[in-house]
Amino acid sequence: MHGRTSIRAVTLAMTGLFVVSACSAGGGPSQGTLAPPEKQILNVNDGTEPNSYDPTQQTYTYEAGVGREVFETLLKPNAQLTDVQPAAAEKFDISSDGLTYTFHLRSNAQWSDGKPVTASDWVYGFKHLLNPALGAGYVDPFFDTTIAGGADYGNVDVSSASAIDNYLNGLGLSAPDDHTFVIRLAHPAAFFKWVVTLWVAAPIRKDIVEQAAGGPFPSNDTTKPVQWANNASTIVGNGPYKISEIVSKDHATLVPNTHYWGGAPHLQKIVEWFIADANTAYAKYLTGDLDQLTVPLTNVDVVRTDPKLSKEAQIFPRLSTFYMAINAQRPPLDNPKVRMAFAKSIDRDKLAKQVQHGIQQAIMSYIPKGMPGYDTSDTAQSYDPAAAKKLLQDAGVNPAQLNKFTLLTRNTTRNKTINQFLVDQWNNNLGLNLQLEVVDSKTVTSRIRKGQFDIYGPDGWGADYPDQQDWFDVFFKGSCHTLNWGCPILPGYDDLVTKADSELDQSQRNKDYATAQRMLIDQAGVAFLYQDYEYDLIKPYVKGLTITPDDDQSLPGNFFWHDAYIVQH
Amino acid sequence: MTARRPGPGASLTERITAAGGSRVVSLTIYVLRRLLWMIPVVFFVIVITFVLMHLAPGSPWDRTSGRPLSPVVAEALDKKYGLNKPVFEQFLLYVSNVVHFDFGLSYQYQGKTVTSLIGEGWPYTATIGFLAFCLIAPFGIGLGVLAALRQNTRLDYALMGFATFAASFPNFVIGALMVVLFSVLMYKATGGNFYLPAGGFDLDDHLIMPVITLALLPIAFTARLTRASTLETIRQDFVRTAWAKGLTERLVVVRHILKNSLIPVVTTLGPTFAILITGSVIVETVFSIPGIGRAFVVAVTSRDYPMLLGTTVLFSVVIAVANLVVDILYVAIDPRVRVS
Amino acid sequence: MALPAAAIEQAIDWEVGEQQVGLWGDAWTRFRRNRLALIGLAIVLALIVVAVASPLLIRMGLLPDPFTQHVDTIEVGPGIGGHVFGTDVLGRDALSRLLIGSQVSLTVGILVQGIIFPIGLTIGLCAGYLGGRVDNLLMRFTDIWYAFPDLLFVLVVVSVWHVQGAWFVQLIPIFGAIALTSWVNLARLVRGQVLSIKEKEFVEAARSSGTPPFKIITRHLLPNSLGPIIVTLTFGIPQAIFLEAVLSFLGVGIQPPQPTWGQMVNDGYEAIYANPTAVVFPALAIGFTLLAFSFIGDGLRDALDPRMRK
Repeated sequence: MHGRTSIRAVTLAMTGLFVVSACSAGGGPSQGTLAPPEKQILNVNDGTEPNSYDPTQQTYTYEAGVGREVFETLLKPNAQLTDVQPAAAEKFDISSDGLTYTFHLRSNAQWSDGKPVTASDWVYGFKHLLNPALGAGYVDPFFDTTIAGGADYGNVDVSSASAIDNYLNGLGLSAPDDHTFVIRLAHPAAFFKWVVTLWVAAPIRKDIVEQAAGGPFPSNDTTKPVQWANNASTIVGNGPYKISEIVSKDHATLVPNTHYWGGAPHLQKIVEWFIADANTAYAKYLTGDLDQLTVPLTNVDVVRTDPKLSKEAQIFPRLSTFYMAINAQRPPLDNPKVRMAFAKSIDRDKLAKQVQHGIQQAIMSYIPKGMPGYDTSDTAQSYDPAAAKKLLQDAGVNPAQLNKFTLLTRNTTRNKTINQFLVDQWNNNLGLNLQLEVVDSKTVTSRIRKGQFDIYGPDGWGADYPDQQDWFDVFFKGSCHTLNWGCPILPGYDDLVTKADSELDQSQRNKDYATAQRMLIDQAGVAFLYQDYEYDLIKPYVKGLTITPDDDQSLPGNFFWHDAYIVQH
Repeated sequence: MTARRPGPGASLTERITAAGGSRVVSLTIYVLRRLLWMIPVVFFVIVITFVLMHLAPGSPWDRTSGRPLSPVVAEALDKKYGLNKPVFEQFLLYVSNVVHFDFGLSYQYQGKTVTSLIGEGWPYTATIGFLAFCLIAPFGIGLGVLAALRQNTRLDYALMGFATFAASFPNFVIGALMVVLFSVLMYKATGGNFYLPAGGFDLDDHLIMPVITLALLPIAFTARLTRASTLETIRQDFVRTAWAKGLTERLVVVRHILKNSLIPVVTTLGPTFAILITGSVIVETVFSIPGIGRAFVVAVTSRDYPMLLGTTVLFSVVIAVANLVVDILYVAIDPRVRVS
Repeated sequence: MALPAAAIEQAIDWEVGEQQVGLWGDAWTRFRRNRLALIGLAIVLALIVVAVASPLLIRMGLLPDPFTQHVDTIEVGPGIGGHVFGTDVLGRDALSRLLIGSQVSLTVGILVQGIIFPIGLTIGLCAGYLGGRVDNLLMRFTDIWYAFPDLLFVLVVVSVWHVQGAWFVQLIPIFGAIALTSWVNLARLVRGQVLSIKEKEFVEAARSSGTPPFKIITRHLLPNSLGPIIVTLTFGIPQAIFLEAVLSFLGVGIQPPQPTWGQMVNDGYEAIYANPTAVVFPALAIGFTLLAFSFIGDGLRDALDPRMRK
């Protein structure tokens, strides 16, 4: 036990050094001799094949794993996640009223087939994303209180091409010249610069789309607009890599985009495998067929105690927090004292250090470490069984009243394990007799959307982008049954967060969000559990990685894979 | 044996033969009749599946992981795929498309048709399944007959032990154990020079472990079944007569025993096909093979209705054909058997 | 050579008559003489004793509690921390879980065959014996049943039929789900056997001598099909145990923390690199059960085989 803790401390410290040194390195290789081009191959496990190769239609992180490399957005987060940095746009201005964003595109930006990237490509891409007939999964940050004219998305008659065209042409998107792309917002939104870093906001080539569809098509067509993404040869992007081959459900191979404005990357091939089974992926790392791997939880101790593997493993924070949702529409769970009793009778340290093998970090607040707003000063939800019992008494609730409740659990091993631990904690610490209710995962989602549960979890939120607006909007009253499953009543919360969302002064925003976080914690809107960390094995010959907490899952460093390289080994 | 007039319950083939038609003709008509019967079978399967699909809780857009889908977008998707129409209308639309061999678009894999997805994955599943079958028939039957002829000897006990082992470990465990042994440990032992690949598909040593894993349980079951059936045949009088006459063992085996003991084995070869398809779900997951075995389970858990219906229709056709082949084999093995 | 019809009938009746006594009378004697069958019986009895006695032993403190989580010793190997077989993902004693798991797994594995047997047997016998249109309809019905997605069916059943409570209550929909999806194999097997046997001379003779169909079925067809039926049923035991584990993913299975052998194998699979014994011990338990029933099954078949009269 003693040995494990110190290893963890050392690796965390090393991670800090790692990030700092990689940032200062810039683009050139500085560690070890570069391997010859035929060895510059990176094998990674993306886990699942993207449901679509059209970036505007993607939503999951495993899809971003491919989409982010082949297409480039206007801006991207910097490595420290403190602000945005230029990407496809070399600079941008915001008008003084905060409503107009002018993006100055790079004049040397080219598509993978050599044609220049123009502002009209960007307009076409955004319209492709916002077309209601296509139902893109990740479109809501773009129409919901942001882009002017976007709010009507749900009311457009998708069977009528003219209605769709009216909607799309009424959006605040324009291209005054070939290298200027202007977006107008409906309300001021300081977080909008982060929204455009989402990888789905990509430019799309109208001529490629129409050619693959066999000619122009009306806006209400749902199948023709995505045909181009079914073949590697017609997927033309503006990112550092392009797709050379797709073997369905097996792997996708990325090769350098020689026309990329930032120069061709060092890596000659990135093979993204779609290996679903954790044991198989682990075996492949051991036999050298994979260069990166997220260590399955059951193998963490094996890796830690292995002399060779422990040196190749690193732990990284991720921008996601996990918590238990308690249904405040079922008395007596509407009483904040009762919810707080649940929150205070969980030994989070045991959960993180033992059950999760020390990979996760216990947390009693909402915003995770690694982004602004991380604040652990409010310890109202700390583990204190005696205080928890007293809270129940104060609320006038007899433990037997709570025994009719069940803990709705998704049918994955991880969820079952965590929830069995939690039920054990609650039963022992509060004198209850709660049961688990393990149900098929889809059915769980269907039930929580109808509010048909007592306690559900572990639920979590992962950052779309490192701005607090993204996090606190989850608990709006209006998000009840869509993101805010428990629907706790938090007096004053909605007004405060709405004000902070449209506030332009960053320090005032931070203050307001901090107050909102305290509300969440003190009212036990949810019972916080832990922040997610990732324990990855990376082969020592993979260099030049810049790893951020915002990286896509199990693909450490993929925001900056342009700079990665392999050394002689 | 006197010629019998076909009485009630007589098969169609009997009536044709009795009326003077040739055996080949009657067999062909039998096959055609069975193929025609596949149409109502498939239709009923579609009806039942359709009903069950729409009764199952959870819509295709309910996310099980990652960011939940906005309800506005979910509605847009419903409209896109026609899920906001009444169920009966959807059913009629589907059936009329199926008649034109159009199985629709997958909900999960955007823009790809069910036909193309099945077409992409089918060769992998078929290759592994076929190779496994090539192992099952000779090994299963051979080991079973051998064990029966040497009942209660050490060979028999060895077979029983092997069969028990194969049946008490589910095939994903066997698969994983093989990977540990032949990939990871072999890699360590030979310094990375020789090892079986831990997963993936290729027409080389990638096939060894998945095929063996898939074939193990059916071999065990077939062997035990053959053994039991052979034991019964051995004890029959005509076999004892053959022994008494002094015929060599091989002659006795081939001429008498095999023919008579194969009926139950042939019966299970039909469901063996089914096991190969369902077993391939697990083998394809463990060895990361992009076949359609997984596609079926994923279609159920993600409520990808068109994919679910498409794979179910395919499965029902395969089963019906397999059972037809089995029934024909019955007649081939033992001409006295009458199938309806 | 033509014997008088009456003499032929007489001879058949003797055969039939003698078979009747031989079938049940000295079957038990023959069974007792089969050493392996007795070993099998002993193992099964031992398993039943374990299933019944282990809760008592736990209450008396002779065995560790299988539900107590010792999060300090998670997933340790055999022998560590006083746990003879090691612990599981939450530090619960693996040996106790294995012993308690026998309750659910034995019940599911064995009793389910009791449901499959009559359904599969009846349908197989009817289809095989009656032939013609009945056979065609029954076999097409079987084709449909085989092809439609049982996973989906189970999902729908679960959403309509909620069960909470002790494990034997939770087992009811599981029995239904497993039996309903597994009877098809037995039916086809029985049908195949009947089709081949019913053309044999002794059946012809019995039929032409006016023996009623029921007696033909029970005295001629059934005893000669026993071998394959028994193999199918014994192999069905581990199948049912694993199916319960698969169903647990859909919520039809036994809710945790009640252990079952099938679920223990599934959990052990994930830890195969860290602690292989987690998967080996429950699989061995399942293997012993299968072995025991195979011995009993072989013994039964030998005991009931009409041609084994000595």
